[in-house]
Order: sequence, then structure tokens, then C-alpha cells
Amino acid sequence: MRLIARFAEQLPDGFEVIDIYDSQTQRHALPSTDPAIDSIAARYPAALWFERKMHDDFGIRIANAFDTRPLVHHERFPAVHPMRKEFTPGKLQLAEFKPYKYEAIEGEGIFQVGVGPIHAGIIEPGHFHFSQEGEAILHLEVRHFYKYRGIEKMMEGRDPADGFAIVEKISGNESVAYQIGYLNLLAQAADTTIDENIRKYNAILLELERIAHHLTDLGFIPNDAGFGAALAFCSMLAEDTRRMLHRLAGHRFGFGAVRGETKEIDKDALKKFVAHLRSEMEFFRDWIIDIPSLWDRLDTTGRLATTDAKKYGCVGVVARASGVALDRRDEELYRAHGWRMVTQPGGDVAARFKVRLEEVFVSLDIIEAMMDFAPARMTYDALRDGSYISYVESSLGELMQYLRIEDGKIARYFARDPSFINWQALHLMMHGNIIADFPLINKSCDLSYAGSDL
Amino acid sequence: MIRFWQKRFSSDIKTKNLAIDKELATLKKELKSEIAKKFASSLAIRMVDSGSCNACEAECNALSNPYYDLERFGVHFVASPRHADVLLVSGVVTLNMLPHLLDAYEQLPSPKWVITLGDCALCHTLPDSFAIAGPVSAHLPVAHHIPGCPPAPDAIIAGLLAFLRKL
Repeated sequence: MRLIARFAEQLPDGFEVIDIYDSQTQRHALPSTDPAIDSIAARYPAALWFERKMHDDFGIRIANAFDTRPLVHHERFPAVHPMRKEFTPGKLQLAEFKPYKYEAIEGEGIFQVGVGPIHAGIIEPGHFHFSQEGEAILHLEVRHFYKYRGIEKMMEGRDPADGFAIVEKISGNESVAYQIGYLNLLAQAADTTIDENIRKYNAILLELERIAHHLTDLGFIPNDAGFGAALAFCSMLAEDTRRMLHRLAGHRFGFGAVRGETKEIDKDALKKFVAHLRSEMEFFRDWIIDIPSLWDRLDTTGRLATTDAKKYGCVGVVARASGVALDRRDEELYRAHGWRMVTQPGGDVAARFKVRLEEVFVSLDIIEAMMDFAPARMTYDALRDGSYISYVESSLGELMQYLRIEDGKIARYFARDPSFINWQALHLMMHGNIIADFPLINKSCDLSYAGSDL
Repeated sequence: MIRFWQKRFSSDIKTKNLAIDKELATLKKELKSEIAKKFASSLAIRMVDSGSCNACEAECNALSNPYYDLERFGVHFVASPRHADVLLVSGVVTLNMLPHLLDAYEQLPSPKWVITLGDCALCHTLPDSFAIAGPVSAHLPVAHHIPGCPPAPDAIIAGLLAFLRKL
């Protein structure tokens, strides 16, 4: 079984911990006083962050946990459990500094390198803590949640349809994906299905988002290995893609684009764009594949074994580049419209690069095949109370969203960004690598901080 | 390799003739002359994200693509706040980032300016929450705001220009 998410919610008579696996869902009822649950992190390593977050958010004690450090609450975060219903929203003040004990390997000649939260480039904040033996990385601890904005709590008590304005701003690179997943939740609550025309329109936007994201990476990965020309080339095409998205959806990142209706699009312009991008990417593929000094840096760097990827339940490009055939687009509509699974066995930076490159072509095929939609519009007014789960394949991987509606209002919202899982597997890619290759490895995964931090 | 170069020589130059509209070209020209006048041709910016959705960062990165190529006009995004003239802050200020944001500001040598990027920095995009320590202006003296959600690259250029003109 693959663990997808483990999260808690508060009910009138206690707490509930929900474990979502790929084949089943388990619900555990906990009492309201001293709630505690057994850790499953020994069996599912990626459960660790879920459990630590659950403790911070709700004060649920994790029995037999081997790691009880706070996760989302940092050194100066006050001692509160803000996701509890009785927690009254109000301004929190910075509290007394409580030191955080990093995972560190110690010994003669071994030293620690801390990187972040503010990094050298134009990047989101997060902390990487290395134990080094000379240049070789012995261990990496990824410490995030600097951008913890309290999204889950923001959603509570709102009208479900108002949630769009928040979910679209959780992670800019996945905005369309978040909106599509959220629309799916509302459709379930309204006991309706999303019209195929709307799904096709949404799919076009989602693939454009994916192309823009993949192109950025296809530029930045070679750039981190000292090959700047690829960045100039790909960032130019990424800009073209953003402009195309702006033309179709009225926004460069697709904010506000998915609301359960199609918009009229300039199909000729889109066709021209697809043809142009395909020929440019064919050129790029021929070009980049023939640069041995670049592949020297990418090959065998930052390897994630298939067994590890499965054990951690990795998703998205990271999983597919480690030979795990996992893609939420593996369904009827996409299969009939140009989608195919792209995997690579290597698990290294080169494999992730190749998966992204190939997926750009797949996305172009999908856009071309999905273009024949007719105008359509759906309503989601009468929303039934209940809990709903949706999945969508964002540019980073499988995105899960959970929504519980009670008395017509949002009682609980939870999003499991693909990055939340993949970040936890990042340290596995470090063994046998030198610290100078870390930026390259990190970029090849290109995970979201904002999405994972919530 | 030979195959590639054969093809390469027979094909067009891949990055030429980018359609850059007049308005943008004028903006860039003015930006260059303002930076030359007021920052000796070199404006160093340290960007800090204190809780954005990453779209503002993506647009900032887009400033160095061949369409905009901002480095040519003297704008440099630098790795250390100690090398910077301007602290460019995007996003709401989260409680977890607040101490680090203040720390980064302290590291900037004087004279220094804070510019906010995108409407999150004003707390106009997301509802308030317990984990948000308010807008940037509640913690730092903000010299200029570049509006948008996110501001497109040309809006960022126009915003920088507006800031320079104010000086």
C-alpha cells in the first residue's frame, strides 16, 4: 500500500485521524482529552511529517514516535494548537526562542553546513542542514514550513465556493491544478459530474501550466551544471507559454481560470503555438542530448532507488524518474487524448531531466487532442454536507485535496501537495554526492515550498 | 555532436527577433538611464520571499529571460543582503519568516530601501490568519510597492522605474 496522506480533524466529540492509502481509507476516532495515536512512520517513512504536523496543529500525541520535534511551529512560534476549533483566531506574537535540534551526524572531522531559510537566488525560503565529511554529504535534513500561512484554518467557516480564491494562491506553479482538484470536490458535493467539455478546457490549461513549469526546470537544471544557454532558450519558451496561458485564461498563472465553465479560446493561435513549441523542443532535444560534459554532471547524480521511491510513496516526476509508473492522468479521458506514461529507470538527475523533456511533448499532444471542446457551464449550488477527496496530477505530481462540508460551510480543508511527500525523500538522493551537486539535485526535483508549507 | 552542428548551421539563430513591444523597449531604456544616474549603473537587489505562493518569484526569474534580460540594464539580483541596495520582499510576512526577514534587513548596508512585490505583501490577497504577522509595512519601512498578483515582468520593470524616479 502507498500512503497518500495522514491528517486529523476535530469533530464535536473528539478527534479523527484519517489515513488515506491508494487502496483504502482508515479512520481512527480519538477522545477529546489527551488524544493519542500510534505512529506508522516505521512502516511508512513519509508519515513522519504528517504526524509531526498533526501534533503541532491539533496537539495529538504520537505514541511510540521516535521523532517528537515540532514541524510547522518554529523556534519562536507560541505554544498553541491553532487547528483546534476552540483556538480563537487572533494575532499571535513571537514567543521565547526554543532551540530546534537538527539531525546531525557528529564525529571527528565531520562538520555541519546550514543553508537557508533565505537562499542565494530568487527562491522560496527553506532550510537545508547538511552533515559533511569534506565535500561528501553524509546526511541532509530538510526543514521547511517557513511559509506556513495557516491556509487550512483560513478555509474553515467559509462558503465552499469562496474557497477557490484561496486554493488558487497556495502554490503559484500549481494554481490550475489546485483549482481543478477543488472544482472536483465541489462537483462531488453537488452530486454532479464535470462535463467533458469543461474537463477538456481545464486539461488544456493544466498542460500549459505543466509545460511552463517543466520548461523552467529544463533551463535551470543545465544552468546549475554551468550550461547557461539552455536556460536562455527554455526560459524564452516558458515566457511564450505563460503568455499563451494569459491569452487563454486571462492570467499568466491561471488564477481564476477554473470555475466550472469553458471560455472561448483562439484555437488557431493555440495550434500555432503548439506546432512552434514542438519544433523548438525537438531542436532542444537534439541539441542537449549531444553535450557530453553536461550529461557527465547529470548522470548518476542524486540517485533515488525504485525501492526507496516506493517506500516513501513518492509521486510525480520524482517517482516516474525512479521507474514508478504513477500518474493521475492515467484515466479514460486522458488516455484517449494523447496521454502516455513517461518513466525512466535511472532515478538520477538525468532521468528526471529526461522525464520532464518527454512530458513536454506529451503535454503538447494532449493540448492538441483536447482542443475540440464545445462551450459548457456547470453549477455547484446545492452542496451536500459530507467529506470529499479529489486527486489531480499537478506539474509536480499527485495533488490530493480533502474537503468536509458541514451546514453548508467548510469544516475542514486539507491539501497534500506532491512536494510534502517528495521533500521527505530528498535526503535519500544525497548519499555518495558532494555538496556542490545539491543545487542540481534539488532543482531536478523542483519541489514547491509554498504548497508543502500551506 | 557533428550531427547537431550540421543541423545547427543550417537552421536559424534560435533567439533572434524576439517580438519586444515599443512600450517595453522605452521602459527598459528609461530604467537604464535612471540606474546610471542614481546607482552608478548598478542596482543590486536582494529578493526575500516571506510567504508568497512562488508566482512572484517565478515572475522575478522571468526578468532574466531573453524577452526582458534585466541584467543588461544594471539590475542585479545578488546572493547576499550585504551586497544589496534594495530588499525586494514578496508575500505576506509569516510568523515563521518574520525573524529572518528582519535579520536580512539588518544585513543590508545603508543607504537601503525596501520594495514590496505583489499584493500579498499588503495582505490583500489571502484572508488573515494566525500564522500571518501582518503586511511587510508593519515591520519594515517600505519605500515603494509594486502592485499585481503577481506583477508581470513588465509591471515589475515599471515598478522599479517608478521607485527610481521617486528618489
